[in-house]
Amino acid sequence: MNRQLQFIIGGVIIAAILGTVIYQTTESTVFFYTPNEILAAPASFEGKEIRIGGRVVPESAQWNPAKVQLSFRVTENGRTFIPVVFQGAKPDMFREGQGVVVEGRMESGGVFRASNLLVKHSEEYKIDPSKVKDREAAYRTLIK
Amino acid sequence: MLIPALGWVSLIGFASLFYYVFEWVPLEANMKFSQKIMYIHLPTILGAYLAFFVVFFCSIGYLWKRTEILDRTAKCSAEIGVVFTGLILVTGSIWGRPTWNAYWVWWDARLITSLMLFLVYLGYLLLRAFADPGEKQARLAAVVGIVAFLDIPLIHVSVSWWRTLHQPSSLFKVGKSGAPEPSMPIEFLLPVIAGLILAVVLYLFLLLYRMRLEARLEMVAAQLARHR
Repeated sequence: MNRQLQFIIGGVIIAAILGTVIYQTTESTVFFYTPNEILAAPASFEGKEIRIGGRVVPESAQWNPAKVQLSFRVTENGRTFIPVVFQGAKPDMFREGQGVVVEGRMESGGVFRASNLLVKHSEEYKIDPSKVKDREAAYRTLIK
Repeated sequence: MLIPALGWVSLIGFASLFYYVFEWVPLEANMKFSQKIMYIHLPTILGAYLAFFVVFFCSIGYLWKRTEILDRTAKCSAEIGVVFTGLILVTGSIWGRPTWNAYWVWWDARLITSLMLFLVYLGYLLLRAFADPGEKQARLAAVVGIVAFLDIPLIHVSVSWWRTLHQPSSLFKVGKSGAPEPSMPIEFLLPVIAGLILAVVLYLFLLLYRMRLEARLEMVAAQLARHR
């Protein structure tokens, strides 16, 4: 058996191990839960540090600048939802109806207390309808 | 002649592309100004993928035919790929802060597999730096160069295999008719395509320039060895 062949066989083995690891992690690893998964078994998530990924229910967001607190509801299907209270500054890109991932703890009252709020952005890109005038204002925000 | 020409085309090309992007391309509706980093983020991704594909291709060729030029090409290409990958991570982070509200998240599969790409090829360069020059180094590096390339298809599928913060593929999506269609208007797509073409030109410039340098280094080393 020549050396070249040994290396090729070695490479195939490494690829097989890599493939197995990937397969296993995709099957079992959850990087965030959806609201439905949590609502199906709320008791098992109580008090645990988790992430929830879902959409912000339209007209559910309330921003309290005095307390620096943002409360809203996340949903998966639009019918059932989880109330979220986030302590911190409201992200610029936060919009109702948008995808978010919240990190925090599920409290006994069914409220999710978030310590971190991440905003998903869609792969859809649309032209800003306000065009030129607003563009100058947008440039100005950079130097404020 | 070819090398300076490629260099000037990429320099003037990128300079005029950025002027065009800031002066003429409309703002994106939601992300406004911060979306403009896309016009450098996507070209750096193509540059890195292309560079590592060349490493992959040359490594297979080297193990098969043992041609020295393939080994030299793989080495030079990997260096360029690592620089481009570093730029992917930096531009992506800068874009992530205003859009996701985080520079980096450790649980996002797209981000982690991209970081893996950077580290694996950094390892490749370290191997080349520490192993003695010669046939053995070339052979070991070729094996690593082939295996490391497997991360690129993994990066590609990461957004569909795992739940991620990173959005799906930016350029094309499957439309209602089932055929792929661009997920952005032509005003955004044109500068992206121009940037991708320029990334290929820049890559070719860097590769040829670096290979000429490598050839000269080898020549000097050979002369020094003869005079000793």
